Amino acid sequence: MENELDKLSRMTPPKPSNEARARAMALAMQAFDDEKNNAAAPQGTENTHRQSFIATRLWRTIMNGRLLAGSALATLLIVPAAGYLTVQMVNNKTIPLIDGPAVKKDKVEEQKTADRGDDAGKQLPLKPATDQSASQSDVDLQLQIANEMKAGQQKRIQLDVEAKNNSEWGTVKQKTVTKTETAKPEPVIADEEKADTDQKVAEVPKEALDSSALAGGAKPAGEADDLGLTENAPADALASAPATSNAVEGRVMSKKLIGATANEGTVAQPPLLQQESGDRFTSKDINPVKSVATDPVSTFSIDVDTASYAYARQAIMSGRLPEADSVRVEEMINYFPYDWKPPEKADQAFKANITVMPTPWNANTLLMHVGIKGYEVQQQEQKPANLVFLIDVSGSMDEPNKLPLLKSAFRLLVNKLKPTDTVSIVVYAGNSGVVLEPTKVSEKQKILDAIDALTPGGSTAGAEGIEAAYKLAEKAFVKDGVNRIFLATDGDFNVGPSSDDELKKMIEAKRKTGIFLSVLGFGTGNYNDALMQTLAQNGNGVAAYIDTLAEAQKTLVQEASASIFPIAKDVKIQVEFNPEKIAEYRLIGYETRALKREDFNNDKVDAGEIGSGHRVTAIYEITPKGSPAVLNDDLRYATKAQQDASTVDTKNAPSDELAFVKIRYKKPNEDKSTLITVPVKADEAKKTIDEAPADVRFSVAVAAFGQKLKNEDQVSDYSWDNIIKLGTDSKGTDSYGYRAEFLKLVELSKSLKGE
Amino acid sequence: MGERTGELEPELIRRASQGDRLAFGQLLEQHYDFIHAVAWKWTRSSADADDIAQDVCVRLASAISGFRGEGRFRTWLYTLVLNAVRDDARRSMREKRKTEEWSLDPSSQGVEAEEDDMQEIWTAVQQLSPKQRDAVMLVYSEGLDHGEAAEVLGCSANTVSWHLHEARKRLKIILGREVA
Repeated sequence: MENELDKLSRMTPPKPSNEARARAMALAMQAFDDEKNNAAAPQGTENTHRQSFIATRLWRTIMNGRLLAGSALATLLIVPAAGYLTVQMVNNKTIPLIDGPAVKKDKVEEQKTADRGDDAGKQLPLKPATDQSASQSDVDLQLQIANEMKAGQQKRIQLDVEAKNNSEWGTVKQKTVTKTETAKPEPVIADEEKADTDQKVAEVPKEALDSSALAGGAKPAGEADDLGLTENAPADALASAPATSNAVEGRVMSKKLIGATANEGTVAQPPLLQQESGDRFTSKDINPVKSVATDPVSTFSIDVDTASYAYARQAIMSGRLPEADSVRVEEMINYFPYDWKPPEKADQAFKANITVMPTPWNANTLLMHVGIKGYEVQQQEQKPANLVFLIDVSGSMDEPNKLPLLKSAFRLLVNKLKPTDTVSIVVYAGNSGVVLEPTKVSEKQKILDAIDALTPGGSTAGAEGIEAAYKLAEKAFVKDGVNRIFLATDGDFNVGPSSDDELKKMIEAKRKTGIFLSVLGFGTGNYNDALMQTLAQNGNGVAAYIDTLAEAQKTLVQEASASIFPIAKDVKIQVEFNPEKIAEYRLIGYETRALKREDFNNDKVDAGEIGSGHRVTAIYEITPKGSPAVLNDDLRYATKAQQDASTVDTKNAPSDELAFVKIRYKKPNEDKSTLITVPVKADEAKKTIDEAPADVRFSVAVAAFGQKLKNEDQVSDYSWDNIIKLGTDSKGTDSYGYRAEFLKLVELSKSLKGE
Repeated sequence: MGERTGELEPELIRRASQGDRLAFGQLLEQHYDFIHAVAWKWTRSSADADDIAQDVCVRLASAISGFRGEGRFRTWLYTLVLNAVRDDARRSMREKRKTEEWSLDPSSQGVEAEEDDMQEIWTAVQQLSPKQRDAVMLVYSEGLDHGEAAEVLGCSANTVSWHLHEARKRLKIILGREVA
């Protein structure tokens, strides 16, 4: 690879053509002169106009005018504010999102007029500029005043700013439109130019003013007419406006806008541009349908992450479907609280609830639904906690849905802790640093103050931050307690020259010493999903994606005990299907969690962790023997004996079993695993899906939705409406409104797909 | 990339930044080929390189007064060129038709075997994220060290290393698929 990249150094660019070179030089010299003239005294340059649109020149002139500075500033302020507001409103469901790219429009007329009036007022003492020898700024002034006068005659100047975010390539459209509604003796030329920021400038009439007109300009718009000053005194200000290099300034200005808004307007992402998102996801093939004859055993590690659902929600809410690779069906299913039966005592870490029912999207297959519920640690049993918040304060976190949200989230969490628990804070950006040494929660105010004081800035140097966090965690280590680092970031994690693998190894090594790592993802544009997953998986932690305060509440408060207090680690599930009954099976989701069959009994192989009260749900689509849905042909040479040999465990198994579910886990402080087994009886299968408990049905609806977002073949004939119906019927009490939100997402996805 | 202008250059830049027309002209004269070459390497299209170089030259006219001589002029030029490349890409949505354009571009016809061999890796590099692409191009095509590339990209050297590391991983995937 190194050698191949070195080939790049052997590129031999062609000689530039003399023509292009001469043109560029000439234009640059021209621009240079203009720049100089601009800075120094006015000089006549009107004979050597640059080759460009008159509208561009006008735009430059306007952008140069000190008069507009106020308005431009107002725009700069308003765009992010509007973006923030919109995000908030969408998050709060104050405004519904409609199909397709949404467009925000903020009329800043009022501010603009006000600013202008002020500025014009300040400029009043200046000499009346009416002739061609007027200095540049005077010309600008004239144009502005001319504009103002037009406004006075019911011509409205609007500055509409449409902020569109398509992550790095965010573009901003600015429109300055002068509408002429009343008859005017002077011709009005309207020209448009598509510059790189799509600036549209309507030309102002070639009209000029005398000193009293200036006075009129400063008056409230309506009074201008009364003064009756505008119609006279032609001065051809426009024609004399020299082409200046202010285009560059205009661009710079626009760029600032881009910078300010690129990450704000997450609401308006056109679906077409989603491939340009900087978020990274690892693609995994969807679990295939397996034949029980050849692969009777399915093994995977549990996954209690929920990041995928929150990410998908964020995408759909902003008007685009999530990338198929970003959807992990099991995380979507596991996002929702289900009422699976819990084990009664702590010595049983969890209980598996199994339901077999017909598949809603395929009449010829069955679903085998495994709902596992972890033992719920009661408040008084809560172990002492030593938490380290490792917080990304790099410049990219400076957005309403990142650092401020993160602060609120951690505040919620701190309020949930016991006085004896300790909290430390490490930040990382250009440099990493300890913000708060381990502090008891009894000094809560100190902790909250430290959280409040966090400010964004700098680039990301995550590796050092992680090391510092581990040091603090070791410093305040509580034996037999919970030692956990919460890494909060928008994703791009700079590990320096060392590789992801080394980072992984470190986290793994620390995990063995009892310090676990959870990852909270924020924002979009930079989100490195795979790395976050890897970190959390290797650190025995949860990867959650926080897009709203409600989500922070859910992850850190309602489920705080689960995120913090592990009840079992290395939880693996193995399901063995009975070839007598089942021909084929397919595990829905868990693509990133597959384990080798032999790893199930190998206690050295790491797997997922389960927290207090956690629920994990896995769904298999199974094809009974003899069903028309069987995809694989029988093996011609597979004899009965061979089949038996490959399924040693079931040799003596009762033939009324469909499958045998085994769960292996370790207690948090143990290295030897415990096994739980549950047989799945054929006669327990539900005849119709309606017989299944509501929570089971709802999780199936979520599974269908996830698969549809992933464009899986199996559900292609199952309509969005079917999902909505299934979900609505099984919604239950839905006390936190998660399920209602889910149904809304299905509706939105349906319309985004145009189905 | 040696500074072929020697110690004359700082003086030229200083004079140009103070509005000396002649000095600015000479500065352009000296650097146009460099600007054009960088633009070409990023786009492999003569037409695009012409446009971008022109754009950079015009921007330079006003930007030069803001160059304070912190850091090297070439590094600073890279930043301008890369920005212009990005703007150009945005403007023309060239991303989509880049590959076809390349094959139509006369300057790419009749390239030597070495060039031909290199095209594959160049095309692969274009598929990286903009930051990764810029980091790879600056380090491997332009021969900058990580510190210099960091200066151009406005980030830390560590971040450059990280981009390169990520880029290598992705290139392995991209090329692995294409080659195999």
